[in-house]
Amino acid sequence: MPTESEPTTTLGKRERLVWARQIFVVLVLMWLALAGLEGWPVGLVTALAGAALSAWLATVKPRPVPPLRVPSFALFFVIESMRGGLDVAWRALHPALPIEPQFHRFELRLPEGQPRTLMVSVLSLMPGTLSAELEGGGDVLVVHALTPGAMASVVLLQARIRRLFALPEDPPEARAEPAR
Amino acid sequence: MSPSASTLPGDWIGIALLLLGCAFYGAGTAGLLRFPDVYSRLHALTKADNQGLLLVCAGLAVLARSWRVAALLGVIWLLGLMAAAVSAHLIARHARHSGSRRTSSEERP
Repeated sequence: MPTESEPTTTLGKRERLVWARQIFVVLVLMWLALAGLEGWPVGLVTALAGAALSAWLATVKPRPVPPLRVPSFALFFVIESMRGGLDVAWRALHPALPIEPQFHRFELRLPEGQPRTLMVSVLSLMPGTLSAELEGGGDVLVVHALTPGAMASVVLLQARIRRLFALPEDPPEARAEPAR
Repeated sequence: MSPSASTLPGDWIGIALLLLGCAFYGAGTAGLLRFPDVYSRLHALTKADNQGLLLVCAGLAVLARSWRVAALLGVIWLLGLMAAAVSAHLIARHARHSGSRRTSSEERP
């Protein structure tokens, strides 16, 4: 298991290689979607260059995602973001405007780097939550919730992201703490 | 990709998805106009509009009948998602820093 959030300023060769591999895969897939196999040598060279550049520029530890865990997270994301869209559309069109906006502080239990970035970005697409700001050096997320009940998706999303990155199960107190 | 003049049954699914997508864009705009503060408006813009984008992309993919086009639309959707999520966070953070911490009820610790 990788150790949790210690800010790594110097990355080893191995870690930079992991970064390069991840970025390479993403760039190749992007090229295939945009151009198919047309001009693939150019795509290959470009993807290699992009991978090398990002490995060189990387500042945090890479967090590789076990590929088998991606489909389940993707499905979760699509379903939850659809619920989010439906929920906010319903509230926006409802004559009584049933919202009760409020801020909450949520202590993140995710390591720096990709897991946190994913959390902050995806949370704004979950039902009723919006990541407003990171405080305390990135440890505390200020969440804007449309309703008090919306905070449940923060806990749920964090648990799903921990599972996606193959981090150990959340300690139980993390589940209870931020609700309401 | 068959350029047939008559409408195929699958096309109606595509058209229905497009119309549904437009309805979500409409709801997002309604939220932008009706919600009381900058944060609540961001909810409507990010979530409803991305739902709209997903449905419009799905509708276009059905109409195009091509996996290549579908993959491209998938990339477009993902880029749209990323842009929406990042810009919503940046606008919300800016709003908090510029002192507009107002939301309909007060801040909880």
